[in-house]
Amino acid sequence: MLVFRSEAHVARWLAGRTPGVTMPITKLAELAEAWWWDRLTPDWQPHARQQNQAILDRLGLTGAFWRLS
Amino acid sequence: MTPADLAIRNVTYRAFVELGRAPTIGELAETAGESPAVVAAAWRRLHEAHALVLADPSAVTPSVLMANPFSAVETPHRVEAAGRTWFANCGWDAFGIGVALRADSSIRTTCPDCREPIELDVRDYRPTESSAVFHVLVPARDWWSDIGFT
Repeated sequence: MLVFRSEAHVARWLAGRTPGVTMPITKLAELAEAWWWDRLTPDWQPHARQQNQAILDRLGLTGAFWRLS
Repeated sequence: MTPADLAIRNVTYRAFVELGRAPTIGELAETAGESPAVVAAAWRRLHEAHALVLADPSAVTPSVLMANPFSAVETPHRVEAAGRTWFANCGWDAFGIGVALRADSSIRTTCPDCREPIELDVRDYRPTESSAVFHVLVPARDWWSDIGFT
């Protein structure tokens, strides 16, 4: 899960390997806010897989690549 | 995850933030008012539940490697936030540190392709400006198969 200077840098780094998913850094920021928001809250509870899947779904990160199971 | 395990998890995270690094098992035992053996057993269960990551779960005195999004060891993803320097486990976690701390942050990482630095200022949980992109290589169902690689 890495940050690159641009999509061209991702393509070069992959060097022919099967790519995963590339997204703008702004989308990553949205994902991080939703995913990590409660991490230090005193009443933290482990996320059920369905909760995490719902976060991905809400951000439009859908399809087989984003299925958690 | 039992309520007691959850309590150890929360004390571990709180200690990580207060110390600015991972607590040792001795420090955590003292803070939690438990024996090191009790903490070690709880940490191993939390590791199995993916609530934190131990460097070597089978070690007699295990140590925390990741309390995601925080890394206990130096990584290419350095984050300045809340007056401290932190290391994140990946690009996603780098943004997560500011979120978890409710703080603006500055992320400094390196492009894996060209090794040029990438600097990102994050205000209100959003980058102020960047043409950078994020790549997820491993499908979600496999993230925990090798969390160090993911």
